[in-house]
Amino acid sequence: MQRRRFVQAIPFLYSSPALLAQAIGKLDGAATDAVGRPLPHFFSATQFATLRRLSDLILPAIGESPGALDAGAPEFLDFLVGQSPLPARVVYLSGLDAMNVHATAKFSKAFAGLDDTQADALLAPLHEPWTWQEPTEPVALFLRHAKNDILTATMNSREWIAATQRNRGSAGNGTYWLPAE
Amino acid sequence: MATQPYDVLIIGSGASGGMTAHTLTAKGIKCLMLDAGPPIDYDHDRVPRKVYDLPYRGFGQPGRFPHVTQADEFNANVWADEKQNPYTYDEKDPYYWVRVRRIGGRTLVWGRASWRLSDYEFKAKDHDGFGDNWPIAYTDLAPYYDKCEPIFRVSGRKEGFAQLPDGNFIEDKSPDSASMQRFINAARARGVPTTKPRRATGSLASSLNLLLPDALATGNLTVVPNAVVRRLTVDKNTGLVNGVDFVDRHSRQERHADARIVVVGAGCLESTRLLLNSGIANSSGVLGHYLFDQFYVKGTVQAVVPEARDGKGGADLMGGSGYIPRFRNIDTKAQDFIRGYSVDFGSGGSPGAKYFPLYGESLQKALASHRGTGFDATTMGSVLPRFENFVSIDPSVVDAWGVPALHIQAKYSDNEFNMARDAMNTLAELCSDAGFEVLEKHDQMVPPGESIHELGTCRMGDDPKTSVLNKWNQSHDIKNLFVVDGGSFVVGGSQNPTLTILALSMRAADYMAEQMRAGNL
Repeated sequence: MQRRRFVQAIPFLYSSPALLAQAIGKLDGAATDAVGRPLPHFFSATQFATLRRLSDLILPAIGESPGALDAGAPEFLDFLVGQSPLPARVVYLSGLDAMNVHATAKFSKAFAGLDDTQADALLAPLHEPWTWQEPTEPVALFLRHAKNDILTATMNSREWIAATQRNRGSAGNGTYWLPAE
Repeated sequence: MATQPYDVLIIGSGASGGMTAHTLTAKGIKCLMLDAGPPIDYDHDRVPRKVYDLPYRGFGQPGRFPHVTQADEFNANVWADEKQNPYTYDEKDPYYWVRVRRIGGRTLVWGRASWRLSDYEFKAKDHDGFGDNWPIAYTDLAPYYDKCEPIFRVSGRKEGFAQLPDGNFIEDKSPDSASMQRFINAARARGVPTTKPRRATGSLASSLNLLLPDALATGNLTVVPNAVVRRLTVDKNTGLVNGVDFVDRHSRQERHADARIVVVGAGCLESTRLLLNSGIANSSGVLGHYLFDQFYVKGTVQAVVPEARDGKGGADLMGGSGYIPRFRNIDTKAQDFIRGYSVDFGSGGSPGAKYFPLYGESLQKALASHRGTGFDATTMGSVLPRFENFVSIDPSVVDAWGVPALHIQAKYSDNEFNMARDAMNTLAELCSDAGFEVLEKHDQMVPPGESIHELGTCRMGDDPKTSVLNKWNQSHDIKNLFVVDGGSFVVGGSQNPTLTILALSMRAADYMAEQMRAGNL
């Protein structure tokens, strides 16, 4: 009975189409990433652990700025790379596997378990000057892409922008073209 | 069912189609404009959004635009869908064909750079012996440049360069920052000229707001969106075109529209595809050949201004942009290439993280220290028109409406590679002379097509045996057929082509109207 009275009230409350649209618009508020935790599924557990460790090394939390882990960058990249064309997936899969193989060979433990000094020894390609010519060596190629992707995924995140917009008020804003139909 | 008669049927609503309609309708000529794309409400079809609210955090949907490097997740929906609109090329010679299928065409997203060509382009063969001259000279087109620049509210600074003629500019009186002045002085010391950018101004500088509204206001223009033209049709008795067959983009219903004159302005390659699919206007055998564009070397140099580090780069020191017009092979002769290149340069950006061989906290410190310290330059080079760079119909591939697709065969030659290397070395020297630190320099050109300046595949000329169009953008073979876009170019130079496309289409429309009045069309 209460529900029936509510429905009957709608034409009265929203007798103007503009008011109705305004009310409906208010229902369209929450983004999925604000209410749901991502469920990584593309990378294996070992690969994902490697990516998490790498993400924390590339962009750790510093002061008030959130790090890649705070921004959910590894979980986002699991989603992004999982949907990417085969060449991009191969770069990540072979790169993450190679990082682990090298870690095990050099330090007898997985990359995820390396301390910062040990990990740095395996991140030597990131100390090489960047050039427009992409490296051919798989780990160097992977690290080049991963560095860029982890930074972008973090700096475009809700967490990063919320923390840094005090200094850069327009951070993260853009003009979005709606689909043609 | 009877259809309403129109004087002129125009295919395409971008720079060339829009300007043709703008010119003809003002003279009282009834025009019908067909465009393959949907209409756009510029104010309502674009909305502010946060990057983290986009499904892919700004990366864009993976694999959606393998050839459109300009696409990001904010503007993705403006570009033509590559799956619906396929084309082919040999894997070893990739071509990036960048298209927009919406009313307004690529003027919705163009870079607005508005440069005139000079007789270094119109009479290029006279200067270096390569290829062909245009059948027109700068003086033929100058009056039309004069009329187009005010419509597009082009700003710039008059310099008196022979290779980059001045125009009807809104004068750019903006001062140069100290870092810009240092670069300009370094360039001058080596005989390299510079000027301010010449750009269309306003919040939108498109056919959509500057050409079509005036044309519609005359009551002489009818615009039909979502009309995918399949072919032009020919009257077997007269040999003249008599209309077009088109497909409704949504319903897929096939239709025919009659026309007294057909103007093709769908963009160089789309127009060429249409003529090839129609099997017309090719008695010369050169339709589709001589494809060229401008090559780009994006970020040829990335430098930093040392004094600006750690937040010390105020507005006096940093900021601003400029342009180096072609300077090679003007007064002196370059050793290993003909023609020349131009450069866009700017101060005050922030070098990207890729330029720092660091990660972690040290990278973040470097980025903070270098914020706003950047100086970068991008090279745009003249590409030689060569017969062996061409497009043809690939009968094995059709688009979403069953129209056969293009196969594109294009690659750069040593002339372009040598030019790019010269640009890299010259810019690095200039930066060094200016006291900048060069983080990276390179000469890697983007793939052909990526500049979105494809030109030349319906070239004009005086000889019907070696050209598709005459000097009025009119088909040699079919007098009531005109091609008004970049396809008509004979030589392109290093200048962005849109202003010249606008001027050529206005000139062609003037001629068309005069011929109609005289009873010749």
